[in-house]
Amino acid sequence: MEADFTSQIREKARELLEKGTVECVIGYETGSDGVSARPSFIYNPSEVERLVFDNTCSHNLVKYLLDKKGKPTAIVVKGCDSRALNLLLSEKQLQRDQIFIIGVVCPGVVEWGWNRRSEQFQKRCDLCRQHTPLVYDLLIGTPVTEEPPPEFTDIAEMSARATEERASFWREQAERCLRCYACRQACPGCYCIDCFVEQLDPEWVGIRIATGENLMWNTIRAFHLAGRCIACNECERVCPVNLPLSLLNRKLEEEMLELFDYRAGMSEDATAPLITFIKEEKLGIGE
Amino acid sequence: MSADNEPLIIGFLCNWCSYAGADMAGTSRMAYPSNIRIIRVPCSGRVDPLLIVKCFQEGADAVLVAGCHPGDCHYNEGNYYSRRRFAVLRALLDFMGIDKERFRVEWVSASEGKRFSQIVSQFTEDMNRIGARKAG
Ligand code: SF4
Ligand code: SF4
Ligand code: SF4
Ligand code: FES
Repeated sequence: MEADFTSQIREKARELLEKGTVECVIGYETGSDGVSARPSFIYNPSEVERLVFDNTCSHNLVKYLLDKKGKPTAIVVKGCDSRALNLLLSEKQLQRDQIFIIGVVCPGVVEWGWNRRSEQFQKRCDLCRQHTPLVYDLLIGTPVTEEPPPEFTDIAEMSARATEERASFWREQAERCLRCYACRQACPGCYCIDCFVEQLDPEWVGIRIATGENLMWNTIRAFHLAGRCIACNECERVCPVNLPLSLLNRKLEEEMLELFDYRAGMSEDATAPLITFIKEEKLGIGE
Repeated sequence: MSADNEPLIIGFLCNWCSYAGADMAGTSRMAYPSNIRIIRVPCSGRVDPLLIVKCFQEGADAVLVAGCHPGDCHYNEGNYYSRRRFAVLRALLDFMGIDKERFRVEWVSASEGKRFSQIVSQFTEDMNRIGARKAG
């Protein structure tokens, strides 16, 4: 199957580049460890043989489209990644007619690292509700019927703990944060020209190493993705010190579903709940 | 928690309703606990979640946001947005260990001096009951 997906991607990439339909194809290639995939930018038809698709293709490549505005580009997306496309289209960050979407019905990606690939699916894939891309110009693979498992069991477990226990849990987690901002850089929803964290006046987050500053960062980063996070879990995957960021993201996802019956990235003309309102609604605030 | 072991509450009050309500409580000599430190803001919609999280990070025990009643916002819609924003923020903070009791959003009009003083008294009492936050 992998070989088949790979050859179909190469074939389409060659055609698009030869015809000049796109300037660049963003996909995956095998990294220098010979084992795991990395993002790849192909500009020349003679280079399409570099493209691959296998179960280490974790990266959500949609983020790179933000650097291709006004340039016709093709991109390889998995199911979860396609929700990021919808998010950015709905936020008017991308032009649909400039993008050729090669959608892959994704069987799931595995845990991997430098020179190593396990058999274990990533947690997001165990929880996946979107193996089939929502938006594409070419679909590779056969659409599957989704039967996702209950998705918020770990959130419920955390919520069941005492407040003070939750506080110390998050303090312990935040203590490790390096504030490298890899979580932000990987996230398709984090595209602000100036992030609050680099703002100097007021300086919301001091640069010193301090758990409180880290908590400030982790809290607000999660909140800025409320109703926007499309659950690709790239932020958690790239964190060098393994902060369980998906707990925060999915807590907010659950909240969005409960309060507003909303899931981000499901269509390109959706409106995120926090930029709108219903006058008569009751949300347990000020009532 | 302040030096005298009293709970410290930061209050963001919208200029047009709640700040006037607090003023009314003052001028009509209604007593309310001095635990609250009031910051005047143009509208409840001006209260960026950054401000709330920063208060807690700097050691506040509780935060109050007060604005005009729905329908009465001076800018028509500010409080509708803040209602959604803070419903979600409160859930996130609670999940991260800041009890939802510690973050309150209330609608207080310019004529509700009495209500304002009751809210602050009740809030202070609640904070005394659940105790100081461990800083973090
Ligand atoms: S990737 Fe991890 S360590 Fe880096 S800023 Fe994000 S949470 Fe902190
Ligand atoms: S954390 Fe917030 S301010 Fe920073 S880039 Fe992401 S969305 Fe923008
Ligand atoms: S917050 Fe994390 S899981 Fe959500 S869209 Fe951003 S990178 Fe993906
Ligand atoms: S002016 Fe009071 S809430 Fe907007």
